[in-house]
Order: sequence, then structure tokens, then C-alpha cells
Amino acid sequence: MNIDLVASSISLLTFFGISAIIALSLNIEYGVAGIPNFGQALFVSLGAYTAGVTYTRLMPLLAGRTPLEPCASGNMAAALALRGEILKSMPLVALGNFALTLLLAAVIGGVVGLLASYPALRLKEEWFLGLVLLVGAETVRIIVRGWPPIICAHNGLSGISPPFGWLPTAQIRSLAFAGLVLAIAALCYWYSERLVRSPYGRLLKALRENGSVAAGLGKDMARVRGQVMVIGSAMAALAGVLFVTNLGFASANDYGVALTLDIWVMIVLGGLGNMRGALLGALIVTLLDRFTSVAAIQFNMLGIDIEFNYVRYILFGLILLLMLRFRPQGLWPEPRRTTAANRVLAEQAGAAGAAASQPGPAE
Amino acid sequence: MLEIVDLEKSFGGLQAVAGASLTVEQGQVVGLIGPNGSGKSTLLSLAAGQHKPDGGRILLRGQEIQGLPPQRIFRLGLARSYQDPSLFFRMSVLDNALLAAQDQRGEQPLQAPRHKRWWPQEAQLARRAARVLDDLKLLPRSDAAASDLSGGQMKLLELGRTVMGEPALMLLDEPTAGVAPALAYAIFEEIERLRRQQGLTFLIVEHRLEILFDFVDWLYVMHMGQVIAQGKPAQIAADPLVREVYFGE
Amino acid sequence: MPIGLLVDSLATSVLVGSLYALMAVGLTLTMAVVKLPNFAHAELISTGAYAALIVSLALSGSPLLVMAAAFVVAALVALLTHWTVFRPLSRRKSSTYVLILASFAAGLIIRYLLFLLADTLDLFDKRIQVAQEVWLQAGPLTLTNIFFWVAPTSILLVVALSLLLNFTQLGRQMRALADNSTLAAVVGVPTTRVVNLTWLLVGGTAGVGGALWGMYTFVDPMLGWLAILSVFAAAVLGGLTSFSGAILGAYIVAFAENTLMQFLNYSFGLDFSFKPAIPFIIIILMLMIRPQGLTGLFDGLRRDAQMER
Repeated sequence: MNIDLVASSISLLTFFGISAIIALSLNIEYGVAGIPNFGQALFVSLGAYTAGVTYTRLMPLLAGRTPLEPCASGNMAAALALRGEILKSMPLVALGNFALTLLLAAVIGGVVGLLASYPALRLKEEWFLGLVLLVGAETVRIIVRGWPPIICAHNGLSGISPPFGWLPTAQIRSLAFAGLVLAIAALCYWYSERLVRSPYGRLLKALRENGSVAAGLGKDMARVRGQVMVIGSAMAALAGVLFVTNLGFASANDYGVALTLDIWVMIVLGGLGNMRGALLGALIVTLLDRFTSVAAIQFNMLGIDIEFNYVRYILFGLILLLMLRFRPQGLWPEPRRTTAANRVLAEQAGAAGAAASQPGPAE
Repeated sequence: MLEIVDLEKSFGGLQAVAGASLTVEQGQVVGLIGPNGSGKSTLLSLAAGQHKPDGGRILLRGQEIQGLPPQRIFRLGLARSYQDPSLFFRMSVLDNALLAAQDQRGEQPLQAPRHKRWWPQEAQLARRAARVLDDLKLLPRSDAAASDLSGGQMKLLELGRTVMGEPALMLLDEPTAGVAPALAYAIFEEIERLRRQQGLTFLIVEHRLEILFDFVDWLYVMHMGQVIAQGKPAQIAADPLVREVYFGE
Repeated sequence: MPIGLLVDSLATSVLVGSLYALMAVGLTLTMAVVKLPNFAHAELISTGAYAALIVSLALSGSPLLVMAAAFVVAALVALLTHWTVFRPLSRRKSSTYVLILASFAAGLIIRYLLFLLADTLDLFDKRIQVAQEVWLQAGPLTLTNIFFWVAPTSILLVVALSLLLNFTQLGRQMRALADNSTLAAVVGVPTTRVVNLTWLLVGGTAGVGGALWGMYTFVDPMLGWLAILSVFAAAVLGGLTSFSGAILGAYIVAFAENTLMQFLNYSFGLDFSFKPAIPFIIIILMLMIRPQGLTGLFDGLRRDAQMER
């Protein structure tokens, strides 16, 4: 029981960290910059697909072994065993491969994000961008599901595990991975928070409110939109690597509209535009997920046979509707100020006020 | 400062600007009047780069700018305001003003997280914004959301925001639309002060002729997409052609 | 491609195209009159399918009764989503993104309520019980009574809806709302009533669409969701607010998904698992290249003139 509690807290923290990164990425894109990315699952999936490719091709090469074709039925098991063996016996290769995977995923995510920002220049109505991103994400999912080289099409690819197979016990392994995930999440949080509380954040908010007016004030908003899609998508792809290694299994169907909606629930619940709100939203969604799965087990033991997965989606839908209607700013609303520039004014006023109210020595 | 030659623009079958030409000299305040739908706003949009002209030339300080994107034109020194207040309503008054400042170091995503890199410039801009807002009597409201301002204050903030971008020429589209008469006069006094103190040049579309005529050096009258008359306010007021199209006399 | 395969796929194209048309006109009507890209339209379709299925199992397999049940239930659900979700949000002047998100959420709730229902009553993958008979056998073409129920009913309903829109007072009022809602209210269009009736019509036609789909294949809570992006593709081909455009678009999408797909499979070995990508690619290309849709080819001038204002 005790061990169970520790293990489940560790897995909870890992889930929270991964959700937090994804929520931050969408919160920068939509919450701050107003880009309606209804296809964020795509950018998460890019990380997963990158890992699928590096674990099967790059990692054996790094280990000095010959990569085996991972999907051919003859050597599927051998390829899986090879991945397991490398992860277990070669710490440097495992870690190096993982670092390269993260880097590559961020680059691929960034490039695709940049490409995805171009339709916005051509689209006639703003919400078309949301539809194009939604549909684009689904198109990629269907292609990956039908085309073997990436993650063996609809069969999926297993053995995409965290790079800590060489550590002695399961608990230490999961603890190490949780630590890594939380460290990356902390870094992403730090960057996002700094970003939105700078003059750049002001520019993003201007894009959200009225991009063409901002362009009329000398700002290259197409460029800003591209940049913010690069940042958000790179971050989402990083999270995708962590997501898929945490699952240990890559399958295109994990990255559909349902995942995108989960991310939206997080940021709408937590607070659009507020990075702390995104963390809060990710935390609540992680806890709710855990709670519904625990409740499912409890109820089933009592003989009440309700499919809790259905209840979960109904609950998430209700949360979205209630928030949008009654508290659209989220539980933790965005602060109005971006930088601390108002302090300069306050200090000035304070100094002037002090000078005026203090009687000079001559009087 | 600004020279517009034979400018043309049509939307679908409708010719909004049909070969209009006008010139604005450095340091002048020039008015642009005409009945609704005569193409005044379209002309401003064309000059500011929000629409691409079908024909004709626009020269800013001798340089051709027609067809350039709006951000390039702004950086060359031409700014415009809008008929409906186009502020960033959810942002603070101060942030609205700061946004327009050019070449901010903190506007690069890689510099932005490094607070030390951009803070000195930000503080300096904040002090400049404070002076601009103070001149417009908006300083006490600097921390309020722009949406909380009155209609007149919004117009003033829009003016101040543009000033923060340090343009040389400002195109104003009905700077007093929806503003109480007393404040409308104050807005034109601000325009006059900016011309005097900072040497700014103005081209102003305005329907409140009684105020406009007190402040402009020169007037152009547009009708059906063309400039049909120009002159000093007194000449224009007496021009029978203008009276006919404008007042239906 | 063998002639049998071609004829067969063309028949399917006509059948599926008619169904898409029936679903797309409702979606188009929502976008034109209520200005809402309603993703929960999918679940109106599924709701109709389930209403039809339950009636067909519990009461009778009479196609007319089954469709009537689908119409009524889905219409009421549509009106309910309008009252509880969309009307309050549009009154608060929420952005289109918020409305889209809300439509996702409303759809999610309905879809998983249907899952719960299906789970409790064991109603997964069930066909609406109408006895199948072969009605026409001509060379390679075999058509069952299902075909003769589904295709003509869809077409009839689409025609009825077009007539209603063009020749009745309600239709004129709807078009007035679509053109300019403020102006319509000023000139005395009873906005609330017209919008309510619009939702009933939209829900009803979507529901019948679901019921017919359930006769053609089978009923599942995902039925609407799996069809909705094809229906959006049809609407996009029609320029999103054009009725005739959406109908034309529906047949084009169905043709691409069936006949063209069959051809690509036969000639180039393209796997059928790529079929769902076809409507997606249509949506992306159309929105980027010709957002005004196909019928925009004819009234492009009028549109540009409106843009200028």
C-alpha cells in the first residue's frame, strides 16, 4: 500500500509535468496570442513520431549496432529486444539518444509550427485557421496511421521507454523520469512566464486583440505569428517525446481531437493567458483523470458497471461549457499588466508627490 | 512630405478612389473633407498600406511607398488613426502607449526572457510615455484598462499611442467622431500643439467642419473618389461647387 | 477499373452524397442564420440515428415513423443546445472561437451520453431494422430498397428545405437574418422565433440524416462525428453559407470518397485507410485557395462589393 502510494504519486507528478508543458504551449498560442490552435495534438504527436524514429534508427547506431527494420513481422520482436537491451545496458547511449530526440523534436515541431502559421496569411475569416489546424492534424494522423515507416502504421510501436532502463529498480527509474519531466516543465514555465511579461508578451496580446492595428503601428505581425507558433509547437513536441516515452508505446490514435480538447479544457479552466493558470488547469485535469479511473475501479468492485471513460468525457464537456459561460477568464485570470513599466510611473509620481508634500528647508 | 498622384482603387465594380491627387507639405495641418462614401477613408488606408492601390503613386518624402506593407510604411514615418477607436482594449493605457514605440529590444523572443537586456529601455520608454500621457491628461488613468476610458479619452490615447511611434506624418480619420463637443475642440488643440512643439505634419479627415476650419492650413475636397477642389478654408467655404456636392445647394 | 466496381461506387456516391447534402444544408443554415460553425451538428445526426434505432426496435420498423421520431428528437436536442449553450454565449458577444469550442463541448457531452445509453441498452453497431430487398438489378448495378428510401428521401428533404427558404415567409425571414441580423430585427423580423425554428429545422434534418445513415450502414455513437468533417467539406465547397453550393459540394465529397478513392486504390494501390483524409484535404485546399466556394464563381462581384463596406 505504502509503495503503491509512492508509485502512484510519482506517476501523477509525471503526468502533471507533461500536461503542464502541453498546456503552457497552447496557452502561449491561444491564451496570449489568440491563435486558435484546434490541432495542438498534431504538434504533440510530432514529438512521439520523432521518438519512434530515433529509438528504432538512431539509438542502435549510437550503440554501434545495426538498426533492425522495426515493423517487419519477422524481426519485430528482435528490434524490440534490441531497444530494451540498449536502454538497460548503455546509459550514455540511452541518455544521448534521448537528448537528441528532444532536440530533434523541438526543431521538427518548430518547423511545422512555422509552416502552420502561413495559412493565416491567406485565410479570409479568422476561425478558418482553427478549422485548417484541426483538419491538418487529423490528416497527419491518418497518414501516419496508414504509412508504416514512422511508427509501424496502425500497429503502433512499443518499447519507446524512458532513458533510465539502466537504473536498478522500477521505483528509481520512474523517480528519475519524473525528475527529468518536472525539470523540463519548470524550464518551459520559466521561459513562458518571462516571455509573456516582456515587451514581446505585449506584442502577443496585441496580436490577440487586433493584429492589423498592431501592423499599422509598425509591427510585423506575420513574423510574430510565425515566431509564436514556432515556440508553442516546439514546446508541444518536447512534451510529445515525454508523453510517448511515459506511455512506452507510440500509436497515432492517441493524438486525435480528444487530446486537443483535453488541452483546451486545461487552459480554459486554469486561465487563458495566465501561465500559472495553465499549470493549475493541468493539475486539476491530471487529478480528475486519476480520480475518475480510481472511481471506476471502486464502482466496478461494488458491482456497479458504468464505463467511467464516458463519464470522464461528459464531465470534461461540462467543465468547458460551464467555464466558457460563467467564468471565461478561468480560475486564475490573466494579469492586465505585462511588464513592470507601471512601477516607473509610480516611482516618478511618488518622488514628485514626496517633493511636493515635503516642506523645503527655506519654508 | 506626402504626395499622392492619380491614385486609384476599386472594390469589385465599385471605384472608391478614382484618380485622386493631393500634396501635404512638411509642418502643415491639411484637412480632407467630402460627403460620405467619397473615398476619404479608402485614401487613408491606401496611403497607410492597408489596401494596395490599383494605380497611381504615393510618395513619402520623395520615396515611393505604394504597395508596401503597413508596418514598413509606419517605420518610414507615416502613421494613421481610425474612425472607430482601435485601441488594445484589454491592455492598460500605459501598455497601449508603450506598444507603439519602435525598435524595442524586448520584442525579440530570445531577448525577452532576459529581463536585464530590455529593462533599461523599457523604463526609459515608460518615462517618455508618462510625459505623452500627461500632456493628454491621461496619466492618472495609466494603469486602467483602455476599455474603461471615455470615448474622448480613447481618441486622445490613440493620438498619444501614435506619437510614441515617433512618426513624421499622421493621417487622422475623424479624430473627434463620437466625442463631446467640448472635448472635440481639445483634441484639435492637442493636434496644434504637436505640430508646434514636435513639427508633426497632419492630414485629417473630419466631418466637424466648424472646428476643422479653425485649425487647418489647407483643405482638399473629395467627391466620387476624386479631389474636386482645394484651397484655404475661407476659399473652400465660398466655393459654389463644394457647396453643391457637400450641402446639396 | 472494372465496370462493376465503377457502377457500384457511383451508386454509393449518389447515396452518400444525398446523405451528406441533407446533413450539410443544416450545417450551412446554422452558419448563415446563427453564424455558428457547429461541430455538435455531428451529435444531432447521431441523436437522430439513436432515436430511429430505438423506435425501430421498440415500436415498428415503418420507415416513416422511424424518420419522424428521428426528426422530433434531434430537433428538440438542437433547440436545447441553442437555449442552454449557444444563445447565452452569443448574448455575451463571445468570439467565434469560444462558440466553436462550446460546440465541441456540447457535442462531447451528447456523444458520451449516447455511449452511456448504448452501453446500458446494448445498442452498439446495430442496424435500423428495415427489411432489405433487392429492388433493381440491371447489369452490374444492384440497388436495394434501402437505396430507394435513403437517396430520394434525402433529396426530397433538401428540396423541401430549399422551397421553404425561398418561397415562405419564414424562409424570407431566415435569409434576412443571414444577411444582416441587426437590420432584420429593426424591420420587424421576430428574431427569437425565427432562430428557434431554424434550430428545429437544422436538428430535424440532421436527425433524419442520421436515421437514414443508420438504415444504410449501422448506428454507433461515433456515427455523426465520423461524418461531420465530410459534411464540413461539403459546406466549405459551397462557400459555407450557400445552400445550392453545399448540395453540390456534398456530391463532390461523396464522389471523391467513393469513386475517386476506389480508382486510386485500383490504379495506384492507395490503401483505403487514407480515405478519411480526402475531405480534410478538400477543406484545407478550398479554404486557402477559394474560400468563397464553388458557387462564388458566379456571385463573386456582389461579395467584393459587400467587403468594401
